Amino acid sequence: MIRVQDMQFSYTKEPFIENMNFDVQNGEIFGFLGPSGAGKSTLQKILTGLLTTYRGSVQVNGIEIKHRGNSFYENIGVDFEFPSLYEKLTARENLNFFASLYKKHQAIDPLLDSVGLLHDAGKKVSDFSKGMKSRLNFIKALLHDPALLFLDEPTSGLDPSNAKRMKDIILQEKAKGKTILLTTHNMYDATELCSRVAFIVDGKLRALDTPRALIMSRGAARVRYTYAVNGREEQKEITLDRTGEDDVLQKLVQENRLLSIHSSEPTLNDIFVELTGRLLQ
Amino acid sequence: MRPLFQSFRLFIQQIFRDSMLSAVCIGTLVTALFIRFGVPAIENILCNHFQEEVILAKYYLLFDLMLALITPYMFCFASAMMILTEYDENLTRYLAVTPVGKNGYILSRLVFPALISIVVSVALMHWFSLTAWSFAMTLLTCILTCLMSIAVALLTFAFSHNRVEGLAMAKLSGLLMVGLFVPFFLLTNIQYLFSPLPSFWIAKLCMEQNLIFLWPATLSSLIWITVLYQKFSRKIR
Repeated sequence: MIRVQDMQFSYTKEPFIENMNFDVQNGEIFGFLGPSGAGKSTLQKILTGLLTTYRGSVQVNGIEIKHRGNSFYENIGVDFEFPSLYEKLTARENLNFFASLYKKHQAIDPLLDSVGLLHDAGKKVSDFSKGMKSRLNFIKALLHDPALLFLDEPTSGLDPSNAKRMKDIILQEKAKGKTILLTTHNMYDATELCSRVAFIVDGKLRALDTPRALIMSRGAARVRYTYAVNGREEQKEITLDRTGEDDVLQKLVQENRLLSIHSSEPTLNDIFVELTGRLLQ
Repeated sequence: MRPLFQSFRLFIQQIFRDSMLSAVCIGTLVTALFIRFGVPAIENILCNHFQEEVILAKYYLLFDLMLALITPYMFCFASAMMILTEYDENLTRYLAVTPVGKNGYILSRLVFPALISIVVSVALMHWFSLTAWSFAMTLLTCILTCLMSIAVALLTFAFSHNRVEGLAMAKLSGLLMVGLFVPFFLLTNIQYLFSPLPSFWIAKLCMEQNLIFLWPATLSSLIWITVLYQKFSRKIR
């Protein structure tokens, strides 16, 4: 679906994105993870054809992005991080307008209903809350049922229940065979949704694998427990796969002397920090 | 073409929903009526009062030039304001990733309104001008004022971040119109100091009825458009 080979891009004389290589297969959710200013949005702009002054090759569905025509956008849906909606129009008028730009589009009411906005369809967007705008912006990208979706921080600014609703829709789209490129700095979203993730820092690809493979590369989860010895609290930590060999732990469990016990699985954030020395947020 | 026309249809709708921008468009007709009927009436009053044969009549061509300029200028100002609003609402970038595309966006927001302004301007010149104009000269002048107005719209958008700044920039860009007055009031070679202004050459062309001035008038507009388009294009990516 997407093939990026030896791609370089710069806004100035200094290189910004250097020697980037990756492929995205049909039907996968591919996540770009990185801190602010890492180059994720620039990469999205290149892949959507907004920036065409790159070097190397960027192909989407076999078409070199530099040479795309406007029909290229019939099959691409983009949800930018910040809502792009006509504030003076109602939600329905907005969707009707954007739908009119495409050769084919889905029914609008079921889409509005899917994000809980059907009853607000007649309201002007300027009267919407930030979360409502985000949800409307998201379904705008799905209007024409595109095969390829670019989602930039789709759950940003949403309450947990609406964030879950959006993530469910993203997974439904994946189940329909859509290819989704997700740009985020939210490691939980990435772990939950992505088939593969790419870590991007300072315009460079630092790692690319499935979230599970990246997490496992750091080793097994760890178990930390505390117990009392002569009135003093002691703490011990072992890997999860060696709990059966830990005599102290066995004894403490048998004698009901554990004060606390916690397991700690590494997260994508831990892996990211370990690999890049940077924080995601 | 369908996405392009849909985009243009929305643009027109948005203009009519915006009271300031509709007033701007209707304002061209009010200005035309004032030039056609108000200026000669004032001329009569002034001539009677000062016992002169002519006072304003010497400058009727200048009024006509302002009439030729006002429609494209106002239409392009409305376009620039609309583009700024859409830029504020992150829509310029979004429309570029739809079948409208970046070029389609520029066509529907700048080129189509500018083309319509030529037609309206020619019609207003036909009905409301104070001096006699051939059709060819009217069309040529309206095309040139339209090119200049596109440069003004690009300038307004490229150097503003929102509508408030856009209004200020539009007022400042009015300085580009100063060139219209120069050949009428500055009769020495010092007038050529204003040669970077397309309006100066448009006034020269119409005053002297010499087609040689068509080239600097066109060239100066195209230079302004080319330079400003670079900045405009960088801003909407």
